[in-house]
Amino acid sequence: MGVDVTQHEKISVVSAHFVSAASLRRRTDWFIKLRWGAVLGVWLFSLGAALLGNLPLPLEQLLGLGALLLLFNIGCKIFNGRTEAIDIAAELNMVKVQMVVDLVLLTAVLHYSGGVENPFQFIAIIHVIIASLLLKGRQIFQIAWIAGGLFTAMVLGEQFGLLHHYHLLSASDLTHEWPYVLMAIVSLWMVLLISAWIGSRIMQHNRAIKDELVLRQQDLVAADRAQLDFFRFVTHEVKSPIVTAQSAVEAAREIGGADLSPTVRDMLGRAVRRLNLALTIVKDLADLTRGSMAGGPSLRSTDLKAVVAGVLEQQAEAMATQRLTLKTDLPDDPVHLRSDEGMLDKIVVNLVNNAVRYSHDGGTVQVALVVRNGQVVLTVRDEGIGITPEDQLRVFEEFFRATAAREMSDLGTGLGLPIVKRFTEQLGGSIELASRLGEGTIVTVTLPQAGPLRPSETEDQG
Amino acid sequence: MSKRTILVVDDDIDLVEIIRVTLEHAGYEVIDAQTGARGLDLARERSPDMIILDVMMGEVDEGFQVAYQLRQGDDTRDIPIVMLTAVADQTGFKFDPDKDSDFLPVNEFLEKPISPRQLLDVVRKNLPTTI
Repeated sequence: MGVDVTQHEKISVVSAHFVSAASLRRRTDWFIKLRWGAVLGVWLFSLGAALLGNLPLPLEQLLGLGALLLLFNIGCKIFNGRTEAIDIAAELNMVKVQMVVDLVLLTAVLHYSGGVENPFQFIAIIHVIIASLLLKGRQIFQIAWIAGGLFTAMVLGEQFGLLHHYHLLSASDLTHEWPYVLMAIVSLWMVLLISAWIGSRIMQHNRAIKDELVLRQQDLVAADRAQLDFFRFVTHEVKSPIVTAQSAVEAAREIGGADLSPTVRDMLGRAVRRLNLALTIVKDLADLTRGSMAGGPSLRSTDLKAVVAGVLEQQAEAMATQRLTLKTDLPDDPVHLRSDEGMLDKIVVNLVNNAVRYSHDGGTVQVALVVRNGQVVLTVRDEGIGITPEDQLRVFEEFFRATAAREMSDLGTGLGLPIVKRFTEQLGGSIELASRLGEGTIVTVTLPQAGPLRPSETEDQG
Repeated sequence: MSKRTILVVDDDIDLVEIIRVTLEHAGYEVIDAQTGARGLDLARERSPDMIILDVMMGEVDEGFQVAYQLRQGDDTRDIPIVMLTAVADQTGFKFDPDKDSDFLPVNEFLEKPISPRQLLDVVRKNLPTTI
């Protein structure tokens, strides 16, 4: 087959979870809705046939069967309402029980409404199709066998006189000739079995596609993690030599003091500046990989307003140097959210840093914090250099720096916005950036006050 | 009055040398060790006036272990310890000497890199004022 064993094992593990107890429960809820329609259909059909068509059908029995179906459905609804969907096998058994009961009642209705003459016999195909959505392989055919068997038993029973036959309309005697009866039975069997076969093939194909997607997803997650582990290793290993080199150059400057020639002093100054940049990149990389470490964000009640105020205080000197005007719109009360304070701090620091760094001297930086509908919205707006539409598509990529930004400053690392985006998403939020070249940039970060959903809450059971 | 002696314990030989040059230039005597064990021995033999200790040497928390042992020894209990680390960034670990001194028995906890001026300030601040 060309499929290696581990791959094969993985796939069978994945397939086992193609349906979950919860998804099966949703399907049976859906059966229940359909069944209300079936009850109504049986009643309307029998009443209509009796009143309008004046058909010689046994009205009491048909209405009674409708009532039985109604009671069964009420029972199913109560069962679903009172129990939790936990065990897949138990839910699958419920599905099978409901299908068999439905098929038995359908056959009984057919029996009282013309038997082999009634064209509604093909409703059994609907059950086979539903079975192929929920069940696998042999089980689908079992439903087809049960449907066909019940129909065959009823028709032959009537034909041999074991069961009473109720005529539909003034049916021709031809419908009681053996060729007609056999053709009716064979055609239903054909359609049932072919439906089961097609349905099982289609679903097999769908399951294979889903397995493939799940495996690819797992591979992508693993690759992402491996990349972050690599970053973290590199970060750690690169940081100490940079730190040592920086200390060496600074010690040389300090000890040399006034004895150093201006040229040497200038060279050492350049070295320190570049080493600082390298260190910033390494620290940003460490930030970028930090949130993905085992355990993820450490969530506790955090005051975002205090974090914002703290960052603005740190940036006050840089703003003063560039003669920037700071406009703030912060609520009077603390803004509490379930979040990671360190990560929030990095988000705000990077956004405010960018706004300051890419503002023209004398410009305005606006920082606003609003709470609405359980969401905290942080907006940082500058009137600086702005970002071209093409560059806006790439600013969240690691190490990407917009052309205008590179012309303005060689101090950026290209990691600020990626960090903000990654942290925001890990905290359950979203980020939006709007910008116009030469006019400025607005970044909006929206975070849920309740914090990120736990993995079990985000999992789609469907 | 003899020169004040400072023990530097760090497995980064270059960094030890840089700290040595900086401190010697400022008039201190510097002795050094590249491992925690050697550092402990030197601390007991020479009774330095101060110890500058790196957190991560061979093992992740070797510096912490050395600090605990120094605090348990009668001869070494009162020697001020300045701890250097590159670790704060990696772990998000922040040390507050006022709150955490029971937990971590050091006088000062500094994140690398530190400039020569910062280093000298910290040394002056933490050296005992009398001999």
